[in-house]
Amino acid sequence: MKIKLEDVRRFAEAIGIRFNDQVPATFVGTLVQANIPGVELPAPGMIHGEQNITYYRPLCVGDSLNYKKCVKDVYERSGKLGKKMFLVLETTGYDLAGELVFASSSVLIAPSKEEGE
Amino acid sequence: MKSLLDYQVSEPLPIREWVPSDLQVRQYAEATGDFNPIHLDDDYARQAGLEGAIVHGMLTMAQMGAMLTDWIGEEGTLSKFNVRFEQLVRPNDKITCSGSIKARSKNTLVCILEASNDKKERVLSGLAYVMLKS
Repeated sequence: MKIKLEDVRRFAEAIGIRFNDQVPATFVGTLVQANIPGVELPAPGMIHGEQNITYYRPLCVGDSLNYKKCVKDVYERSGKLGKKMFLVLETTGYDLAGELVFASSSVLIAPSKEEGE
Repeated sequence: MKSLLDYQVSEPLPIREWVPSDLQVRQYAEATGDFNPIHLDDDYARQAGLEGAIVHGMLTMAQMGAMLTDWIGEEGTLSKFNVRFEQLVRPNDKITCSGSIKARSKNTLVCILEASNDKKERVLSGLAYVMLKS
């Protein structure tokens, strides 16, 4: 994928900042929307629990990236609000030379199936 | 103007205040492709047990990001940005993003981040590493 000026401008406008050719820090989070084959997201009632992003270099408009997404972990935990499913997704972005540009992990939390039934 | 190098441990960062609107949530959905109905449809969100539509967590994180990049300016770059979403944020909540210096070395500042609503509930907590340009 390519980081397009128009997409970055729209993103900056939506979050309410002045667009100045910089790629906003959380722009890579938009890649989280891409689907992983065989994984149906979002599940009903799923919310975002954590987001961690490491940048190995700043991103620029016009950069071309390859990225990989995978399900890193799935586990269940009981808390005061009942049983919840935790899903950890990992996204890593590389430039065309194969250098790591960013790594991102998202923790998504959904009500456990048995709980809803 | 104060330089990043002048910031000492435990010193606060300039805050950012933000009130999300329904319109902004819709714009964010369109800009990112995240059309999850828990953000856009009150009835759907209630059925999912959320008492009405909620703001995208990533939109709240973006406000914290804006606070950081306004502060950093041209003096450095963000190398790590980690957050935990602690409470749901709803349209028209009054959110204050704040932070302080937790540790510093010659070329890195470590910042603790926190966003809270007008009920003084913490909605987001986090950590950022800022690399200073040499």
